[in-house]
Amino acid sequence: MNELGIAIDLGSIPLERAVSLASRAEAAGLGLVVLEVGDRSQVSPDPWTVAVWVAARTERIALGVARASEEEAATLPAPSAMAKAEESFGLLNGTRLLGDAGGTPAWISADRDADATELERLARGAAPVVVPVQDVADVDRVAVVAAQLTPSEPAGRPAAVRSRRRPGIDYDGVPDSLRETAVEPGDPGYRAVRSTYLRGGAPGLVLRPRTVAEVADSIAFARRHPDLPLGLRSGGHGISGRSTNDGGLVIDVGAMTSIEVLDVERRLVRIGPGATWTRVAAALGPYGWALGSGDAGGVGVGGLATAGGIGYLSREQGLTIDRLRAVDLVLADGTRVRASREENADLFWAVRGAGANFGAATAFEFEAAEVGRIGWAQLAVVTADLADGLRRFGEAASAAPRDTTVFLVTGQPRPGQAVLQMYGIVDSDDPDVIVERLTPFAEIGMLAQQNVVLTTYPAVLGQFPEVGAEGHHGVGEPVSRSGFLPAMTPGFARDVAGLLHSGEVFYFQLRPMGGAIADVPAEETAFAYRTPAFQVTAMGADQHLTDAAWDELADHFEGTYLSFETDRRAARLHDAFPPTVLDRLRRLKRRFDPDNLFRDNFNIDPFPDRAQDALVGAQRGDSDD
Amino acid sequence: MTDDRPDLLFGTFVTPTAREPRHAVDLAVTADRAGLDLVTYQDHPYQPAFLDTWTLLTYAAARTERIRLSGNVLNLPLRPPLVLARAAASLDLLSGGRFELGLGAGGFWDAIVAMGGRRLTPGQAVDALSEAITLIRDAWDTDVRGGLRSDGPYYPVQGAKRGPRPAHDIGIWLGALKPRMLALTGAKADGWIPSLGYLPRGADSLPEMNARIDEGAVGAGRDPRAVRRLLNIPDGAAQGGSVKGWVDQLVELAVTHRITGFILSSDDPLSTERYAAEVAPEVRRIVAAEASS
Repeated sequence: MNELGIAIDLGSIPLERAVSLASRAEAAGLGLVVLEVGDRSQVSPDPWTVAVWVAARTERIALGVARASEEEAATLPAPSAMAKAEESFGLLNGTRLLGDAGGTPAWISADRDADATELERLARGAAPVVVPVQDVADVDRVAVVAAQLTPSEPAGRPAAVRSRRRPGIDYDGVPDSLRETAVEPGDPGYRAVRSTYLRGGAPGLVLRPRTVAEVADSIAFARRHPDLPLGLRSGGHGISGRSTNDGGLVIDVGAMTSIEVLDVERRLVRIGPGATWTRVAAALGPYGWALGSGDAGGVGVGGLATAGGIGYLSREQGLTIDRLRAVDLVLADGTRVRASREENADLFWAVRGAGANFGAATAFEFEAAEVGRIGWAQLAVVTADLADGLRRFGEAASAAPRDTTVFLVTGQPRPGQAVLQMYGIVDSDDPDVIVERLTPFAEIGMLAQQNVVLTTYPAVLGQFPEVGAEGHHGVGEPVSRSGFLPAMTPGFARDVAGLLHSGEVFYFQLRPMGGAIADVPAEETAFAYRTPAFQVTAMGADQHLTDAAWDELADHFEGTYLSFETDRRAARLHDAFPPTVLDRLRRLKRRFDPDNLFRDNFNIDPFPDRAQDALVGAQRGDSDD
Repeated sequence: MTDDRPDLLFGTFVTPTAREPRHAVDLAVTADRAGLDLVTYQDHPYQPAFLDTWTLLTYAAARTERIRLSGNVLNLPLRPPLVLARAAASLDLLSGGRFELGLGAGGFWDAIVAMGGRRLTPGQAVDALSEAITLIRDAWDTDVRGGLRSDGPYYPVQGAKRGPRPAHDIGIWLGALKPRMLALTGAKADGWIPSLGYLPRGADSLPEMNARIDEGAVGAGRDPRAVRRLLNIPDGAAQGGSVKGWVDQLVELAVTHRITGFILSSDDPLSTERYAAEVAPEVRRIVAAEASS
């Protein structure tokens, strides 16, 4: 049985009375107040302002604001500005505003003189029911009927929360194990889970499993919604990895953060997918160990350890996936498997580079390495010749021994001078060695800033703030392109200088590879690009403009690192995986995820021909009409 | 007061932080109870860390008793003038005449466009603001028969209904720094509400900027005294500054530069309370004494 409320016509009822009728409705135990403007040719106050005022002066009652007419809509603020206002209403009042996110009306209006039988009949429908009122007597009359209605079944979320639900999701069918931790759009915790680090999102439901069994329950639930977007989230730091969406499902394993030492002799550790690399570094530090990750501590283990992991220690330790010894997964059909060189070796190969296509990882077993005190450096040099600076950085970075990894970041240069920011690690506790290793970098241009300290790996990663209970608040879509550069060349340096001068790219990064990354045979993992000298990333403001500029550089690259690639054109999949790798991945995808449940990012379609056939068939069908 | 100088206003300038949404409301309640005259919020709808300022203003008005409220300043490009006029009048009616309309032309165009607004040049933005002021005042004027009409070009209107009529004459205060905005402030606005920190040469800029407003007013056939001069100021007693020195500074601003509204940037209730208890009454007393002597 649905809730009963009142509707107030702001066009005919004086403002003061409207406000007092709303308070009366709450005091009388009614569920909602709808503010509407009946005759739009009459002067009326602004319904939104009245709704906020009423909410601030009441405690509990839900509010509905009737939509503007189409004619009026043209003069209204942009939808994003209205959405912002509604979000703020929620922050100030909790979810007390009825929406129509599901595409169905958020309430049903009864006739003014509807009797109790009629109201009871309407209340059995999908939405709460409101009765137009003029005065206190009307409100009290509705309240009397409401009190006589068969009480609704216990539990269930209030009408305002239900009204924010998205279509196509079986909210009432969420498995019991996940019910308590799941977050839907009207829930108080939604703001903290809707978006990720660089991307705004509005998923219809975020499932937050805490155990392997709950991950399996989440996947079973997702399998019942094959047409909805499905994101897998660990730390929510993904740039290409969506891990949020609009109206779909997200399985967020952020609660699975355990870090456990399995074998001190072998430095074997077992880590949950939701741990961040800052936490991992902090947990391994006391043992004198470290596991290389990327360059940001807030990144989650799950996303990075299934893609690659090119970080400060990669030239010495290999990629993060090269330290992986075993992984536990829940597959699309709910099967729990362990993959390692010995068990499910195919899957183990695929997870290391294309893991997001194959399942939800629930635990990773890594072999850490001994890392003691290290040198941490932040340098900035100024150069008049950007191309020359990049070229010299390329030389210095590639000539450096494995113990030294220095990243470069720059952006659009100012006229006549470019600033090259460099930061990285020298794995040595000897100040003389550290200075010696860094000198070639410091000499690239005029040294404008330097900060070099003797510290530890946990301290380096700990500089990056971890996202707290407030969650990420990215907006829009990040625009990022990536490429693997076989070697720094004068031609590449020149073209990049041109790109940066164009202003199309505001962030440009070079991550040196080589060293231990190249020790691993290409066929060992689905991450197949073992020999590039650099992983290159460029971020812009507009995907099309950035693509146009970046495509000009395509000849310089061999392949792309999927983690920093947001271009969704089909060719990128072939850049991420060379032909033989992609063929093998497809065969495995047919075996492990034939229905293509896991398809959110760099999807390896198990049956690409079938999809193409269907598309062609659909087009033919259209033309026949 | 012995002259026709408007009474001094003391208020606060609060960050509409979304992280702790009730904090911005609590600061309004604090200012209200402490006896200040005004609480204001900045408005950057594209800033995800901030609340929607209109929703916050309305909520804070409903939770306070006596204090006046204003945007400082509201973002016109993302707040279409007719909706704003109706909303402002509604809030003024609901709050018993406690709303003032601080308004700005907009400045962060990339962000405004990303939010669905229209990109204007700075010059166009001043023209659009001028047009909006006329339209808003017309919308409030329910004595005139017939619907609202305007040929635009920024906000064309064909016969929209007027009203509601606000509970009091809502002041339109402009955040203005550049010459054309200052001229518009003089010609059409009821107040000027810049931030001291953004004046090119601090308080030394005031004579020149005041003169531009005066010229704008005279040019439009108005009395320059019809434009109240307000100023957003930092906490002069922070970081060891003395209250006495701060009071002297504000008195100087009032007496020399005709500033009659002092709006303290403060997200700290203690700072708000000290301002209300120790600074505002003292400045008021000295300025009144100087005016009568």
